[in-house]
Amino acid sequence: MSALDAASAPAPRAVTVRKPLPDAVLALGLIAAVTIAWELAIRLFSVPTFVLPAPSAIIQTLIESRVRLARAAASTAVEISLGFVLAALTGILIALLIVRFERFGRALYPLIVLFQNVPKVALAPIFILWFGFDLAPKIVLIVVIAFFPVAIDMLAGLQSVEPSFVALMQSVGASRGKILMRVRIPHSLPHLMAGLKVAITFSVIGAIVGEFAGANQGLGYVIEFASTQLDTPLIFAALVVVSVLGLAFYYVVELAERLLVPWAPKFDTHRRIA
Amino acid sequence: MTAALSVVQPLSTASAASVAPAHIDARNIAVDFVVEGRRQRVLNDISLAVPKGSFVSLIGPSGCGKSTLLKVLAGLITPTEGQVTVDGIAPREAAKRRVIGLAFQEATLLPWKNAVENAAFLLQTADDRVSKADAMAKAAAMLKLVDLEGAERKMPSQLSGGMRQRVAIARALALDPQVLLMDEPFGALDAITREEMSRCLLDIWERTGKTIVLVTHSIDEAVFLSREVHVMGTNPARIVETLPITLPLPRNDDTFAEPAFKTAEKRLRTLLFESKRRPA
Repeated sequence: MSALDAASAPAPRAVTVRKPLPDAVLALGLIAAVTIAWELAIRLFSVPTFVLPAPSAIIQTLIESRVRLARAAASTAVEISLGFVLAALTGILIALLIVRFERFGRALYPLIVLFQNVPKVALAPIFILWFGFDLAPKIVLIVVIAFFPVAIDMLAGLQSVEPSFVALMQSVGASRGKILMRVRIPHSLPHLMAGLKVAITFSVIGAIVGEFAGANQGLGYVIEFASTQLDTPLIFAALVVVSVLGLAFYYVVELAERLLVPWAPKFDTHRRIA
Repeated sequence: MTAALSVVQPLSTASAASVAPAHIDARNIAVDFVVEGRRQRVLNDISLAVPKGSFVSLIGPSGCGKSTLLKVLAGLITPTEGQVTVDGIAPREAAKRRVIGLAFQEATLLPWKNAVENAAFLLQTADDRVSKADAMAKAAAMLKLVDLEGAERKMPSQLSGGMRQRVAIARALALDPQVLLMDEPFGALDAITREEMSRCLLDIWERTGKTIVLVTHSIDEAVFLSREVHVMGTNPARIVETLPITLPLPRNDDTFAEPAFKTAEKRLRTLLFESKRRPA
């Protein structure tokens, strides 16, 4: 015993510098904990499946209905992609028009803010009425829901160029157009990317709401259909697929941000708030 | 006060009516701003003559209009009354012909461009005929002049405040202007960096012989760098006194120990606090 003590004594008490766990491990750990708690609660209180299915039941449905869910996810993904791209282009165009044509911008801006206050979800049935059951009404709905953050953030970026820098460019005779192209637009890119990140999440919502209002395919349709059948596990399975799809789209935009605007300020989860 | 004025008065009239025309010549400048529908006079009857190759400082309490005056000289503000010429032409025109280089308190570098690209940026904006390679070469030479050799590829976020301000000065110098107008270029820097920067500026002035007008809050800086200090006062904004600084050139560490340095410093201090205390 004493010999053992003597042997271990020279080693100084280890200063444990624990490596922080990677963010992904932390996130997955939390998901696992919540899932286990959920599963236990369902079994403990024997909650009926049509009220709230256990995670195991949801996973089982995910496996059994994988083909159906994959097909639905594919058509929803197409809606989200097309809608998002069009929303982004619309937002960018509006921001550029407002900045380039000042007077037009002053007229347009209040109208856009007014339009933003219209509950877009309520427009879904009208779009179905106008554009039918196919892709078009969903894309229009996504555009009207998702263009706003793009336009507002891009506008903020275009207008937040340091006035003294604009003065510097004007002093050497740079035109409005030149200042826009060489300074305002590149300066606005980090803001634009922030707007796009909000827009992509809005696009997912827009697609699902559009499918609720009238569709014969897509994840929103699956949820709608399953609810009429009281097939709650299928509803939850579709929700899981929607979430994963949304997450994937979000990270595609974030990846684009890192590649296109490496100088953008990053959300750093390791930075501690003092 | 009267004694000092009598010393100063002949000098300012002499420079205004001297044989060689002043490089920067402002006569009876007045500037009105319209604030909430009311006209407000921010500069009143200011005349200023800066000889070619001189180094002149504008000093005064905040709100005295020294930045506005600099903007008038730069052609960024058109005066309500009076005339300004820089190198014999209107300032706006002079700026377009790259006679004027500007630097402000904030370096305002473009975060997506590195140091040498930032230094080249204004030259490229000013003149599309300048090739990219030429602009870069010029910018690199100017970075060397402001002691930033080796930092060409660094991004603004990797540079210290003083280094960023050096890039901003290099950007102005890359235009190869005859006149350098600077609005508190070291105002956002710490005291030690400030002093380094004033030495750097003095060095640039000695090497290039440019006409420099510096707006500053710092009495030390004004005396150490300038040939002439214009003291401005408020209500109404005007030049209270023009103080020639007769300290020998080249200026260095010994300059601070000169009795003339102390005298000029004391005089400026008196003027600044008098002009504040006594509304005209």
